[in-house]
Amino acid sequence: MELQSLHPRIRSVWLAVAFLGAVVLTSVLGGALAVYTEFEEAAAIFFFVLLSLFGVYQWKRYSVWGFEVREDNVYLRYGVLVRVQKVVPFVRIQHIDSRRSPVERATGLASLVIYTAGSRGADVRIPGLLPEQADELREELKDLAIEDETRRDDAV
Amino acid sequence: MKLHPLTVPYRTGVGVLKYGVLFAFLMFGGGEATPASAGAIAFLALALVAVIGGWHTAYYNRFDYELTAGTFDVSSGVVSRRSREIPLERVQNVDVRENFLHRILGIAQLNLETAGGSVTEANLKYVGAAEARELQEEIRRRKRRQQTAEQGETEVDVEVEGDVLYEISERELFLVSVFSIDLRLIAAVLFIASLVPPDRFEAVDDVMVPEVVALPALALAVAVAFVLWLIGFVTTFTRFYDFRLTRRDDTLMYERGLFNRYSGSIPLNKVQTVSFQDNVLKRLFGYSTLAVDTAGYSPSQAAETGSEVAVPLAKFPRVLSLANEVEEFGDLDLRKPPKRARRRYVVRYSLVAAAVTLAFYAVNELYTPVRLWYLPLAFLPLTPVAAHLKWRNRGYEEKDDYLVTRNGFWSRTAVIVPYYRVQNVMSSSTILQRRWWLATLTVDTAGTSLVSSNNGRAVDYDLSDVDGMRERVHDELQESLTTKRLEHERSAWTPPEAADFDRTEVDQDIEGDDEVTVDGTEADAVAEEAEEPSDTEPDDDEEANGRGTASEDVDRTESVDEEDEESR
Repeated sequence: MELQSLHPRIRSVWLAVAFLGAVVLTSVLGGALAVYTEFEEAAAIFFFVLLSLFGVYQWKRYSVWGFEVREDNVYLRYGVLVRVQKVVPFVRIQHIDSRRSPVERATGLASLVIYTAGSRGADVRIPGLLPEQADELREELKDLAIEDETRRDDAV
Repeated sequence: MKLHPLTVPYRTGVGVLKYGVLFAFLMFGGGEATPASAGAIAFLALALVAVIGGWHTAYYNRFDYELTAGTFDVSSGVVSRRSREIPLERVQNVDVRENFLHRILGIAQLNLETAGGSVTEANLKYVGAAEARELQEEIRRRKRRQQTAEQGETEVDVEVEGDVLYEISERELFLVSVFSIDLRLIAAVLFIASLVPPDRFEAVDDVMVPEVVALPALALAVAVAFVLWLIGFVTTFTRFYDFRLTRRDDTLMYERGLFNRYSGSIPLNKVQTVSFQDNVLKRLFGYSTLAVDTAGYSPSQAAETGSEVAVPLAKFPRVLSLANEVEEFGDLDLRKPPKRARRRYVVRYSLVAAAVTLAFYAVNELYTPVRLWYLPLAFLPLTPVAAHLKWRNRGYEEKDDYLVTRNGFWSRTAVIVPYYRVQNVMSSSTILQRRWWLATLTVDTAGTSLVSSNNGRAVDYDLSDVDGMRERVHDELQESLTTKRLEHERSAWTPPEAADFDRTEVDQDIEGDDEVTVDGTEADAVAEEAEEPSDTEPDDDEEANGRGTASEDVDRTESVDEEDEESR
């Protein structure tokens, strides 16, 4: 399996989040900024700076995100400011959820959460999947986890 | 079995005191008691005693525990009833605690910890002190018997008297208490004191501040540091007083405490990580502390009991050999991060010093005079030293069966992680790290150590190296699992009846998932043939399929350990 990207629709969702974030921050701080600097366009400039920052961030976030079901583990890559590459061995998978938040349901997307017994970073979330893809992946990983566990011993 | 009868009066007494004080505070906190209310007070006090006493009597009557061949059963609850069976093989720690009052009354609290969950799984408040130790010992014995039965050995030898591995000497107790101080504290206090102009204290002196405060800032800082150190000294001293570590079969047992006695057990086959903890002072005198991490405690519990300490203080070679009793990893030979990491720290510290100076300067100019606001600049020539120390104390080593990482100068921790215990591996690099082509490797285990922020992290190694490290650690994990599996199969063919022993039904919801997994196992055994991992021994699959259902069960229960984790 090659490194899979997320469904492109999640990028639109994230860009919308960026837009909303910029709107909220501007409405909170923009007015004060305009008054303080005595410069009427300050709020507008502030808004566009924020929007482009957030937009670039979310765009990049989408392009970095990738996952791969490998021979005996799940590999994930994500993060813009902190780039993370994570390897979750099948044997260590405790359970797997597929989830749909209200936003995800509205946009026809789903996410998958993989739990391990680790103490930190124990839960891994793969966003931006199609619902049937998430369910499929969940079943596939479940089967692989069980299969791997019968083949190997594990321990806590 | 019932709890100790003194439980009722003791818990009632404690409850009445607790709520009585609260009530008294609520009622009389604002004004004075009038004579007319004396009768009411007496009535309220009686009612309080009756209610609390009644509750604890009911609790006592409803509480029942029993140690069976394979489980520890507890049924309890006044309003909502709960009965729980804990399979002994899942038990991580068995602790006995007594505070000063308990010891006078001859009672003790017994805690059973399994992996996962934020609370103690069984909490007996209170049983007789002798009874508690008896239970602790008996649980260990039965676990041992189960294990040996599982390995197909007919001869069951259970050691009664263990070897004493370590006993704290007076000198060591004194030193560990002295070393409990964090030198950073002194540095911080001195630094802050030097910034405050002396006249500020004189100014507040007019406004009803005790004279002590009017002392020169430096003296005050010293006093504060001393008091803090004294508190640390006393806490450490009472905690590790009469510390003793023994090994019986495959269990480490420890006892400690001056007023509050703690006694705990650490099963060696549940150990997640082993770590050396030493601050600057300990290193200066060649000492170190050994800590052992199991998956039993939640982080908050660990903070409270500090129970994972296996050796409070000993000379490093001795600590190393004791650590090898727990995990045989040999000696340490750590590799430092690349030298450019050190340069990165110089830059980082210089920027911090500059930023602090700037902040002080701004405060000085705009708000209030700060004496020596340029003082942080004095740290600039020191930054290479600090950077070097930080760099020097970082380390990373891949051993045959273990991964070792080390971090920290002021308080340094070296963590030894068996590949076998790794849960997941990740590499990460921040934007700033990427500028230097550096990255961090983080290895996660199911342990719940206090030092988890530093736990199993190789920080600031070459970015491309870290990629390889990540994959290697993962491969080592897979390999170790396969090896363990083979060992297990070779040494432990279990007769079917012994297998039933482990399949004790349990009321915990955890068990539900277990059943599902077991059902899936056989169906998937077929699919197993199709996919063979490259790093598995060629004969592994054949063996796995040829084993038949009886031993299948045993192997399942071996691995169910992990299922306990999921409630976390």
